[in-house]
Amino acid sequence: MFKLIYRQLVYEPFRTLLTCGAIASALAVILLLEGFQFGLLVQLKNVALNRGADLVVAQTGVNNFVAARSLLPQLSRERIESIEGVVEAHPITMVPVIYEQAGYRKSPIFFVVYDTRGGPSKLKAGRAAKAPREIVIDESLAVLYDLKVGDPFIVADFEFRVSGVAEQASALFTAFSFINYDDMIDFFFDSDLVGDISNLPLLSYLLVELEPDTDKQYIAAKIEAVESEADAFMPEQLSQNDVALGRTLFGPVMGVLIGAGYVIALLVVGMIMFAAVHARLRNFGVMKALGFPNHTLVSEMVLESLIMVLLAFPLALLLALFGSWVIETRVPLYLVPVMEIVPLIRTFVAALVLAVIGAYLPYRLIAKLDPALVFRG
Amino acid sequence: MLYWSLKTLLSEPVRLLVSALAVAVSFILVIFFSAVFEGESEQMVLYLEKMEADVWVMQKGVSNMHMTSSMVWDWKVDRIAQMPEVKEVAAILYFNGAVKIGGKDWFSYVIGISPQYRRTAPWAMVQGKSLPGPGEAVIPEVISQLTGVQIGDEIMLTDRPLKVVGLSRETFSMASAVVFVAREELGDLLEGRDQYSYIMVYAEPGVNAKTLAERIKQEIDKVNALTSEAFIASDRQLAVQMGAEIVRMMTMIGTLLATLIVAFTAYSLIARKKQELAITKALGFGNKQIYLAALSQTVVVTALGLLLALLISFTVLQWLPTVAPQINLSVRLHQFTSIAMVTLPVALLASLSAARTVAKVDPMTVFHQ
Repeated sequence: MFKLIYRQLVYEPFRTLLTCGAIASALAVILLLEGFQFGLLVQLKNVALNRGADLVVAQTGVNNFVAARSLLPQLSRERIESIEGVVEAHPITMVPVIYEQAGYRKSPIFFVVYDTRGGPSKLKAGRAAKAPREIVIDESLAVLYDLKVGDPFIVADFEFRVSGVAEQASALFTAFSFINYDDMIDFFFDSDLVGDISNLPLLSYLLVELEPDTDKQYIAAKIEAVESEADAFMPEQLSQNDVALGRTLFGPVMGVLIGAGYVIALLVVGMIMFAAVHARLRNFGVMKALGFPNHTLVSEMVLESLIMVLLAFPLALLLALFGSWVIETRVPLYLVPVMEIVPLIRTFVAALVLAVIGAYLPYRLIAKLDPALVFRG
Repeated sequence: MLYWSLKTLLSEPVRLLVSALAVAVSFILVIFFSAVFEGESEQMVLYLEKMEADVWVMQKGVSNMHMTSSMVWDWKVDRIAQMPEVKEVAAILYFNGAVKIGGKDWFSYVIGISPQYRRTAPWAMVQGKSLPGPGEAVIPEVISQLTGVQIGDEIMLTDRPLKVVGLSRETFSMASAVVFVAREELGDLLEGRDQYSYIMVYAEPGVNAKTLAERIKQEIDKVNALTSEAFIASDRQLAVQMGAEIVRMMTMIGTLLATLIVAFTAYSLIARKKQELAITKALGFGNKQIYLAALSQTVVVTALGLLLALLISFTVLQWLPTVAPQINLSVRLHQFTSIAMVTLPVALLASLSAARTVAKVDPMTVFHQ
C-alpha cells in the first residue's frame, strides 16, 4: 500500500507540491493564530517579570501590572525600605499617554517612569535614558513612526529625544516607553497635563530588592503589615494575574479564530481527498473488482492523507516561521512565537486527526463505486 | 468554451462546494478579525455617542477617552454652564482599568456619575436602578451572564467592595466594558473629589458646535474642547489603528490561503480534463479561449467563495454574539469588497499555472488511453 501511495505522490509532482502547499498553508494559519494568542499572553507575562524585582508592591486591591491604576503613598518607599532584609524599594510609575504624529496616526503608549530599576530589559539600539529629556521607545513605535536614536519624540507638546530602542516592550496592543522621574515632572508641568490634577500619579509600584536568601513570603507579609495601603506580590504572581486578564480579554475571540483555522484545514484536506478519489475512481473500481473491500480502500486514503499531512507539516512550520518573522519585523507590537512546544504539539496532533476525518469525507464516493466502471470506456 | 468550463465545474457540485467553502472560510477568517476590531471600536465609542453632547471638554493635551486620563476642576463645569451659548452641561469622572467581577478582572471604563447629571447614567437597563449611590455599581448585563454575578452581589473596584444595583444593556466590550459607580466613590478612589474628567456641553439651538468648542477653549483655562463628532472620530481612529496592522496581516495570510485553494481547485480540475481539452484543441479552439475558460473557473470558485462568505458572515457571524456575548462583531460590506479586490487578481494570477498546463496540451492526447 505504501508503494502505491508513493507512486501516486510522485506520478504528478506538481500536483503533490500544490497539495502539500495547500495543506501546509492551512496548518500555517493555525500555527500563526496559536502563536498570536501565545504571543499576547507572553507579552503580558513578561511585563512584571522583566522589571527585575524580587517583590512588587502595588496599591491594595490592585492585582495587575498591566491595565491597572495603582497609586502608592509617597512614604511607603521609606517604610518598606526600613524592613530588615529589604535592600531597596525602587519606584516605578505608569502613565498612559497618546502619542500622535501630526497628520499621520496616533497610538496609546505607557510611559514607564523609573529611577534605578525597572527600565527596558533589552535594548535593540542606543542606550538607556540618562540625560534630561531622553526616552527609550519600544521597537514597535520606532518601526511604525520611522523613529531612530537621536530623533525627537513629542508627546503633548513636550519634546523628548530618543536615546534607545527597546526590544519587545509592549503588551495589550500598547507600547511602553521609558523615561526618568525628573522628566516625568517636567513633562507634567510643561505640557499643562498637570493643570487640574490635585494628586500627581507619582508612584505606581515599588520594585523591592531583597538581600540574598531572604524569605520572600515573610518579607511580603511584613510589607503588608507596615504599609496598610499596599499589597506585596511575587513578580510571578502578578504576571499570572496579567495572563489571566489576557485570557479573559482575548480568549473567546482567539478561540473562534483558531476554530475557524481548524475548519479551513479540515475543508482543505477534505477537498484534496475528494479530488484524489475522483481522479482515481477507475483504479478503485479495479481494486473493488479484484475483491478489495471498502474499508481497505478507505484505509489507503487515510494513510495517503496522513502521509500528506506529515509531508506538509514541516512546510507549514517554515511558512509559519516566515509569517511570524514578517509580522514581528513589520509590526513589532505583536509577538508571534510559532515554535512553542505545547501549541506546536496540539496543532500537530489536531492535523493528524483532521487528516483522518478529511480522508473519510469522500467515503460515500468509494462505497457507492460500481466495480463495473472499470469495464466502461 | 466558457460553457464547457462552467459545466465541468458544476458536474461535481460537492467538490465545487467544498472548494468554495474552503475559500469562504479563509475569507471569513479575515472578516472575523476585521469585524472584531470594528465591533470593538464601535462599542468603544457607544457611550460617547449615546450622550449626544454637542461639545466634549477635557483636560488640555487630551483628545481621547480610551487609554487616557483627564482631570478638570469642577468649577469649570459651572463656568461653562454660565456661557450664553450653553443650554445644559453634564460631567463625569472616569478611569480606565481592571474591575474584579465574579473573581475575574475585566478591563473597564469606570464612569463616576453624579445624581444631578442623570443623563450620564446607562441609557438602557435590563434590571435594577441606573443611578448608583456610594458603595454601589451598575455592571454590564453581559458580564453578569458570563460570571453569574447578580444584583446584590459584590464586585471589587481596586480595594473597594461595591454592591451591584443594576445591570445595563449595550455596555460591554472586551476593551471597554462600562461600569457605572457614584462620582463620590470614584473621586475618593482617584483622590479627585473636586474634579471631573469630561464635561458634556449641550448648545442652545442655532449655536455651531465648532464655534462653541473654540469659545470654550478661549474662555476656560487649560482645557481642550472638541465637537462630539471630532471626539468620537478621535477615539474610533485610535481603536481602529490599534488593530489595523494585524487586520492587514491577516488579510494577506487569508488571501494567500484562499489563492492557494483556488489555484489547487483550478489545477486539479484542468489536470483531470486533459483529454476533453485535447479534443477542443483538436477541434480548433485556440489557447486564448482555453486560457479564458481556465480563468473563468477561478473567477467562479472565488466568487462563489465570496458569496458563501457573505452569506455565512451575515448569518453565522451575526448570530455568534448571541452564544458568545463577549464578542462584539460588526460585519460590514466594505470588509468583503477590500478582500475581493485583493484576492481576485491574485487568484487569477495563481491559476495561470493551471492555464499553462492547458496551453501545453497536445491534441494527440485525445487518442491516448
